[in-house]
Amino acid sequence: MFIVDTDVHNYWSSAEVLLPYLEPYWRDFLVRGEKPGPAGSFPHGHRPWLHPEGFSRHDIRPQTEEDNYLIMKEKHLDLYDIDVAILTADEPLEASTLANYHYANALVKAYNDYMIDWWLPKDRRFKGSIIISPTDPHGAAAEIRRLGGHKDIVQVLASHGSQRPYGDPFYHPIFEACAEVGLPFAIHFGGQGGVNHNAIASGPTTYYWETHALLSQPAMTHVVSMISNGVFEKYPDLYFVVIECGVSWVPSLMWRLDANFKALRKETPWLKMLPSDYCRRNIRFSTQPLEQPQNVKHLWETLEHMDGQNTLLFASDYPHWDFDAPTNIHIPPAWRDKVMGLNALEVYKRIEAPAASARVA
Amino acid sequence: MTANAAAVPVRGRTFACKVNEVAIGQPRIVAFGRIGIGIFQLDDGYAALLNICPHRAGRLCEGPVCGTTRPTDRAEFVYERAGEIVRCAWHGWEFEIRSGKCLVDDRLKARTFPVEVVGDDLYLELGR
Repeated sequence: MFIVDTDVHNYWSSAEVLLPYLEPYWRDFLVRGEKPGPAGSFPHGHRPWLHPEGFSRHDIRPQTEEDNYLIMKEKHLDLYDIDVAILTADEPLEASTLANYHYANALVKAYNDYMIDWWLPKDRRFKGSIIISPTDPHGAAAEIRRLGGHKDIVQVLASHGSQRPYGDPFYHPIFEACAEVGLPFAIHFGGQGGVNHNAIASGPTTYYWETHALLSQPAMTHVVSMISNGVFEKYPDLYFVVIECGVSWVPSLMWRLDANFKALRKETPWLKMLPSDYCRRNIRFSTQPLEQPQNVKHLWETLEHMDGQNTLLFASDYPHWDFDAPTNIHIPPAWRDKVMGLNALEVYKRIEAPAASARVA
Repeated sequence: MTANAAAVPVRGRTFACKVNEVAIGQPRIVAFGRIGIGIFQLDDGYAALLNICPHRAGRLCEGPVCGTTRPTDRAEFVYERAGEIVRCAWHGWEFEIRSGKCLVDDRLKARTFPVEVVGDDLYLELGR
């Protein structure tokens, strides 16, 4: 089966891998400047919830920088016969939490160059994401235009933690750049600290698992905001990919949105379709962490209401603690070919389609 | 994982490893053909678990060996059963090393294998 894993975290052992890619002015920040931990930690405003066991799977224990790739290859790419792995970075997403957006821009720019230089050439299965810091939309747009033409770059990626809902016109320069270079805009769970103080509605929760279960909250806000602000009328071909934010909440939100829109469409006259129509046309959701009800049929029925067969993209979240293995993901068997790989081809146009024979096999 | 080249069954038992290859808190994963089994040393002996988690097939025995908190009625954190629990390396579900019982789901049990000490050698009963 053709498998595109849309959420593979390319770790580093030390953020100092960025030093050769930083301009001298910013290199001093990373070498001599204050950091949130010891040398090698990545500058960011940390979230107030600390995972009590650490983020990573305990069987992934890199000793060297090279191990980060070698272990991924052995325990994930080769083991599950993954055809395409979309690299989604890790700590660089947290640049969005820094108040100094110039520094944030410098860090993500260095990461993007490091990723293109160090990760992409290692494995033909790798595709990259341009990480942006949304705190400076014009800076982000410049970064998208700088690298957007690279043949192995398949999306633009920001943290789901942000200062405002992403449909806010403040962010539209980002989407304009995405549309211009022909890349989807994706968000991934993260960036829940520092200047992104709205990570949880009603105020901060107490425990890590409690907070993690609410990872859909900001995603709901972003999905609604992108639709209502007319981003998909302005950029009709733009795909918005929601990664690691859960999926089963989507149908109920669409029911509510459609009902409200029918009554109050006069507020947003630029919308030409029902909210759920935009969702189906322009928004895609990664599966992990797929909800796990006692009776899986309850999940499958829910996913039918969001046309899951066509709107879901498989993701593993390797190597995190809530990892979903491709062999153990509970989706309807009839959807498997599409969700595991073929749907991704519609969104990520730069991924080569498998040969016809491979498709059948 | 250590490949067990000398996996020769002796009267229903199969050699696993030497006793000095396992330590308290440091299980050894031994390969028997395509399956891996984690051999654990406990205060009062040895135990063995299949290295496949019954939750979602993760690498059960490669997670931390630790204790856990006793269920309480208030915000009191009573740490107990130190060294008797393994947390699956993937998703962190807790299992009793001796019995293979899953702490959060009665329906789940990791597969266990009897361990026999013969001199300096540890043998497993793999049959069943």
